Amino acid sequence: MKVKVGIMSFAHLHADSYAHCLKTNPRAEFVGIADHDRQRAQAKAEQYGVALFDSYEALLASEVQAVIICSENAKHAQLAQMAAAAGKHILCEKPLMTRLEDGKAMLAAAQGAGVHLFTAFPCRFSPAFQKMKQLIDAGAIGELLALRGTNRGSNPGGWFNDLELAGGGAMIDHTVHVADLIRLLTGQEIATVYAETSNQMFHGNYDDTALLTLTLQNELFATLDASWSRPKTFPTWGDVTLTAIGTKGIIEMDMFAQYLLHYDDRAGRIKQVFWGDNIDALMIDEFLRVVAGEPRCVIATGEDGYRAAAVALAGYESVRRGEPVTVSYE
Amino acid sequence: MVKVGIVGLGTMGRQHMDAYLQMPDVEVAGVYDHHPDRAEAFRQQYDVPVASSFNALLECCEIIDICTPTYRHAEYALPAIEAGKAVVCEKPLARTIEDCERIAEAVHKHSTLFMPAHVLRFFPEFRMAHQLIRNGAIGTPAIIRTRRGGDFPITKSDWYADFEKSGGVILDLIIHDFDWLRWTLGEVERVYAKALTFRKLNHLDYTLVTLRFQNGTIAHVEGTWCDPGGFRVTLEACGDAGMLEYDSAQQVALRLATRADEGSAGGVQVPESPAVENPYYLELRHFVDCYKTGATPELTVTDGVEAVRIALMAIESARTGRVVKR
Repeated sequence: MKVKVGIMSFAHLHADSYAHCLKTNPRAEFVGIADHDRQRAQAKAEQYGVALFDSYEALLASEVQAVIICSENAKHAQLAQMAAAAGKHILCEKPLMTRLEDGKAMLAAAQGAGVHLFTAFPCRFSPAFQKMKQLIDAGAIGELLALRGTNRGSNPGGWFNDLELAGGGAMIDHTVHVADLIRLLTGQEIATVYAETSNQMFHGNYDDTALLTLTLQNELFATLDASWSRPKTFPTWGDVTLTAIGTKGIIEMDMFAQYLLHYDDRAGRIKQVFWGDNIDALMIDEFLRVVAGEPRCVIATGEDGYRAAAVALAGYESVRRGEPVTVSYE
Repeated sequence: MVKVGIVGLGTMGRQHMDAYLQMPDVEVAGVYDHHPDRAEAFRQQYDVPVASSFNALLECCEIIDICTPTYRHAEYALPAIEAGKAVVCEKPLARTIEDCERIAEAVHKHSTLFMPAHVLRFFPEFRMAHQLIRNGAIGTPAIIRTRRGGDFPITKSDWYADFEKSGGVILDLIIHDFDWLRWTLGEVERVYAKALTFRKLNHLDYTLVTLRFQNGTIAHVEGTWCDPGGFRVTLEACGDAGMLEYDSAQQVALRLATRADEGSAGGVQVPESPAVENPYYLELRHFVDCYKTGATPELTVTDGVEAVRIALMAIESARTGRVVKR
């Protein structure tokens, strides 16, 4: 039996990757699309050869068992609550929410309806990260002392630069992946955050560069660069890196450093052509398995998404106050 | 011939000696170290006169070059300045801000020709990066990241492991990056740092420092004495019109790899970036030229003081957990 899945909104650019994963995964039946942007929905429905629903309500009234939510960040809460009320399992794009109360409402709605709520953190599935975690768990670098991460990209523009719809700028966009990896690697919660942001890349009313300093338990500390600092001529979209410092050595992970360099005369630029595993596909595959009744293994829960987003929100609180702040998870 | 005297005959003393040997207009007229056996080894290697005391060194030289451990800089710099000598002093200028200010005061009082030896400014990659950024190559700088370090430096006296003497990885090592950033971006506004410095781990030190500059640029400086993988330096400067990137591990002009002889332990790999003139030569040549022409050095005592001030702000932040403002 194939798992019937719909996509709610294509506002987030990752929707295309998930749509492709659904089309190519033999466990999935990609049923259709609904979007508050009707034109976008129509174009995407045609592109993927799936049904176009007139409204989110119509999609949720259909036979779909699960939905993937890729709306603007601030709209996740409303769509997730609608989906939960309709008894659909949910995979929600990150960041899970732009306000703590929205996140709490999403978690409560899913729990109340008895549906799964997952957060789209595909980096968890990276074989490089999984190997790094195995090595650290096996004591390869001794006791863990510090972590240094980056998740840089370029400015996606559009609603990502709208503070209401996105919930912030680069910091809310790029903090959550690595915050999630740090939680997973350490088994600890992030306790405090200090953040410095700037807008000197794009000079808008949003943060386009962000440096966060995090503390965990046992004096463990970390920094995270969550900036839209990749220039237009950068050979790829950005990076996810994490370095672990231990008493016996270090491990450096550069998650997407599996590429050929393509010096492309026709395009007039140099590009990285990635040949590593498709982590979106690995995540979607587990999503489909869990919806079909198999146990959860790697995929991030709603709670994981909530806790990672809370770190980004604490970052903004730190910027407002000009000092380190305790992360509020309540 | 310009007569130079070197005090402190460890690694840096040798590095500086090698540079002076390439200068036909310079004579190392004397050297001094408070360890007589170190001075004797130096004399045997370089065939230079060993002064019987620091005062004797002052009497035979025009320029005093201070290469002692950080905590002894002021002890030699102050009498050299008072004796009217030109003084070049290894970085960091001193271990404490009070010592730094004493040196600066003496330099101003005696109108001393003085240069703190922040050699990074003479490394061609960092010099060019500075010039490119100042000339607008990346537009307005937004965020700069640097990384510097390798394994823990171990010397006979093990003074690097004594925080009171060396200031740890923040004061001793990444002061290079603080000086370069300040040279390139201007004054710092505030600093926040985390470090292993105060955990009293056995020969491990590591720090992650966030800086905000008065011009709005933010910077992240990583310093490590925790990386057994060898010394590595990286720089990434992003602005609204582009980015500059340097990684010493990626750009290796010459790599030597040798197989260990049978019976001996391990082989050796030495990556190199050969150049006609090394940065220590360029730095000291600049100072000697200033001495001969009366020109002002590119680096003044104020640069030395301010670099230490940033490092001490980072240390205070790491110690207290607070944001430290200038």
